[in-house]
Amino acid sequence: MKRLLIVDDEGDLRLLYQTEFETEGYRVDTAADAMEALSMFERERYDLIILDIKMPGMDGVEALGKFLGRDNKIPVIINSAFDSYKDNFMSWAADSYVIKSADLSELKQKVKEALGESIYEF
Amino acid sequence: MSTGISKDLLTVILAGGRGERLYPLTKSRSKPAVPFGGIYRIIDFTLSNCLNSGLRRIKVLCQYMSHSLDRHLKEGWNVFCRELGEYIDSVTPQQQFSEGWYRGTADALYQNIYLLDQLRPRYVLILSGDHIYRMDYAEMIKFHLEMRAELTVATVQVETSLAANQLGVLQVEPDGRIVDFEEKPALPKPSPFNPDQALVNMGIYIFDTEILVRNVVADAKKDTRHDFGRDIIPAMIPSFRCYAYNFADESGGDILYWRDIGTIENYYQASMDLLSHNPRFNLYDPEWPIRTYMGQYPPAKLIRAEPAPGKKGHLGRARNSIISPGCIIDGAEVSNCVLSPGVHIGPDALVEDSIIMDNTNIGGNCKVRRAVIDKQAKIDPGKTVGYNPEQDSRHFMLSESGLVLIPKGFELS
Repeated sequence: MKRLLIVDDEGDLRLLYQTEFETEGYRVDTAADAMEALSMFERERYDLIILDIKMPGMDGVEALGKFLGRDNKIPVIINSAFDSYKDNFMSWAADSYVIKSADLSELKQKVKEALGESIYEF
Repeated sequence: MSTGISKDLLTVILAGGRGERLYPLTKSRSKPAVPFGGIYRIIDFTLSNCLNSGLRRIKVLCQYMSHSLDRHLKEGWNVFCRELGEYIDSVTPQQQFSEGWYRGTADALYQNIYLLDQLRPRYVLILSGDHIYRMDYAEMIKFHLEMRAELTVATVQVETSLAANQLGVLQVEPDGRIVDFEEKPALPKPSPFNPDQALVNMGIYIFDTEILVRNVVADAKKDTRHDFGRDIIPAMIPSFRCYAYNFADESGGDILYWRDIGTIENYYQASMDLLSHNPRFNLYDPEWPIRTYMGQYPPAKLIRAEPAPGKKGHLGRARNSIISPGCIIDGAEVSNCVLSPGVHIGPDALVEDSIIMDNTNIGGNCKVRRAVIDKQAKIDPGKTVGYNPEQDSRHFMLSESGLVLIPKGFELS
């Protein structure tokens, strides 16, 4: 079972993403901030990270650099309410950039793509 | 600069090479900080090219043993006005995207993406800090714009045998579009302009910044050597507008001068190249000044040795040599040498075909031949260096061709 680490400072969203991705068949851990996520990443092995950008303390762009510094191949999907970080060169190091939406289909599709899973379901 | 583009362009000089093949000159300094030509350091030639090309926004990416280089930049290259947006800054690894050293030339840019993000240049000129040549980069930038290139690689033609297993070899269309690139091939393909020569990569690149970022980011996630020549350029050729710019040597003449100071033998040969009557690389051209930092030294003097009772002291003589300020040749003979500032050579010594660096002292009656002696060494009177390889190798490293390499501060007593 593929393991996801979801980093978001909003508790409701963490719960929503966790429920949705567990339903999709993933094993999901969540972190409320970047520092917590980094220490979880030290201890556990994940297949993909979904990363918010605007968070108290270390932001997602800085955390992205640190994740990639520890594992240059870890797929990371930025999931932000803002598109303004799309121009930031550092955010280009992520596998994709998804604008937060109530409809999670794009995020789910990007996760599948990044994990090399078929996006078609039979 | 005629194109008026310097504000849109950031120059990045890669100065992080360990320079292992230049050991022991790189024992306590990085390769670009190695002294060259008496009073210069290797990086002065690239920086002088920038200055003479009108480039004023320069980041020097350092890593190993950067102290000597950093000090040199502060002492010798504090020439730009930061208030006008001009600078030469040395940058050590910030470890934002990695916890280690730079893994290759492309990784050095990847790890400094934040710098590109802050400065937002439209173009990035990438240079090596360890090459000796004269080039007007403004001409290459003009070419990049005219060809609407996304990547321009500076190229030079060299004998095929020099390119084999050593350099990146390109194939181009008549307009310069790159169609093939092989890194260090055993059998280099001939240049389209001259079948006896190969067209090789000089390690000088102009990128559109966004193209650079996209490509180094993609490469960072792969198991490559993270090298521009080996990985980035070959990967870009099929899908981007990659062009080759033919190096025009500002020294003039038919033969182009470009030296990668990769090994002690290259270093020695490039130093000896300076000594001819019409050197292919001319330090004395007022149109292309080479800047450096040099401490305050009195003029060099060549003097007759203090006579022994009843004898006439010999004249101090130098032939076919570069003698820097502060040197004293006291009744000794110097031939085919490059002497850095403050070298003292005592009476009746004979020093030939050698490079002697700052403040080294060679005692009277010494015989020194084919040696590279680093700074502040001391050779006691009567010693012989370079005449007996077996004896020399007991104290020193010898190069492939038998040059005797004496490290900084060594005392031969």
